[in-house]
Amino acid sequence: PPQHQRLAFAFASQGDDGDEDFSLSQMPTHSQVQRNLERHSQDQLNQKVSELVQFLLVKDQKKIPIKRVDILKKVIREYRDVYSEIVNRAGRTLQQVFGLQLVEIDTKHHIYILTSDLPRAEGENLRRDNQTAKLGLLIVILSFIFMKGNSAKDSESPPAPHFPFLPPPPPLTPRFPGAVWEFLRRLRVQPGERHEVFGDVRKLVTEEFVRQKYLEITPIPLTDPPEFKYQWGPRAAKETTKKDVLRFVAKVR
Amino acid sequence: ENREDMLSSKSNRLTEALEEANKLFSGVSCAREAALDAQFLVLASNLGKEKANELHSEMTAFDSLAFAEDLLTFMGINRIEVEENDSDSEGISGGYLPSNAWHKLGEETEKYFRRAPSFHYMLGSFKSDPPVPRQRIERQKKTTGGEEKRAMPAQLKKMEESHQEATEKEVERILGLLQTHFKNDPDTPISFFDLVIDPNSFARTVENIFHVSFIIRDGFARLKLDDDKLPIIEPSKDEGRKDDHSAGARNQVVISLNHQEWK
Repeated sequence: PPQHQRLAFAFASQGDDGDEDFSLSQMPTHSQVQRNLERHSQDQLNQKVSELVQFLLVKDQKKIPIKRVDILKKVIREYRDVYSEIVNRAGRTLQQVFGLQLVEIDTKHHIYILTSDLPRAEGENLRRDNQTAKLGLLIVILSFIFMKGNSAKDSESPPAPHFPFLPPPPPLTPRFPGAVWEFLRRLRVQPGERHEVFGDVRKLVTEEFVRQKYLEITPIPLTDPPEFKYQWGPRAAKETTKKDVLRFVAKVR
Repeated sequence: ENREDMLSSKSNRLTEALEEANKLFSGVSCAREAALDAQFLVLASNLGKEKANELHSEMTAFDSLAFAEDLLTFMGINRIEVEENDSDSEGISGGYLPSNAWHKLGEETEKYFRRAPSFHYMLGSFKSDPPVPRQRIERQKKTTGGEEKRAMPAQLKKMEESHQEATEKEVERILGLLQTHFKNDPDTPISFFDLVIDPNSFARTVENIFHVSFIIRDGFARLKLDDDKLPIIEPSKDEGRKDDHSAGARNQVVISLNHQEWK
């Protein structure tokens, strides 16, 4: 249908909006938005809401949180003056039609995720992919962190960003595993080895889970050799609770 | 002296001692006793701190080894094949972990998460090629017989579905039969039922009616009712067919024939 084609085009074209600075400008206030609504027709607004809903659904596939900057640039564009109205309506649609919640996990940088309102459906015909197995690994790590008092130490970390004027980071030497990976080793998961199910596990845990905001790995200052703190990320906090994880641990024991 | 006893989480000795000290303090009148009391309080608070630490460490005396073993069990580890000298020194227990182990764990995990299912289109992405248009040839109204017969095989080649070809062939065959019969014995119309009924097969009879209907539709033959009001079939002559077209004299006929009647 033509609507779909137009949507695909809208996502494809980028980089022309160099003039507009989406990241630093102020957003209109609530009363401003209410006034601005009169400048657009209902049809136009509904169109934008639909586009935003589709955008969010597709962006959520990889579970990488969605930035407001991207929403403004790719979908909202010239409707910036009624941004909050569009987002609110999109959130309502997601909830009423899909049973999904649009949650802001970072109110400073304005980053969103989608979570589910509904209990997980059980059944044989659900899509089978690697995501389920990864979730198993994740809850193992989350429960370990929780049982250790909400943070655990380890030497494995995401690759360090390289700043131009500082000395380059030390070469990757084999690290003595800390608490987290020592625990994972007992489950036949090792950072140095290619895993049958997860592939490069170190990358999965220290990069993918971190990027998805399931885990937070922060350096502990003044430690040598460098140690890192593993904690629950904001997505984990929204998608599950400590109580649920405790129930999981209890079920397994 | 009773330090161990005091530290034990199961005992309230420390609390009792504190309460006793409290009571005693009300009887204190001179400085030396107050000093003793203060000393006691310091001791008591030290013990209290240790006891609190112990409490904390009991909670985090989380047995991760046991948890790991329980997880492996949940994932379906097969421990029967454990060897005697297997790697307890390495810290990894023996046994065979099936390939769906993590998936199994993940399925249980999903119950504890409110993760939004990933959105995927059921039908996949658009194909880049447009669908091949179906080659349905409209059956032309024929005006001359001979040429038509030659033309029909050419048309046949364009048909995609093979079952349509089979139909065509049958129709042709029946038409051929009909025309041969009339060549040999013109002016004698054939009873419709004589033509189509197969005494041995009801299904075949129905097929024959189906094929004859094409012949009639295309104007190669006509159905009429004879004096007994029974249908007869005769090939159309050329002129007749032309008239048919201009006059638009075509009718729809519904014939019903069930198994009983056929018998």
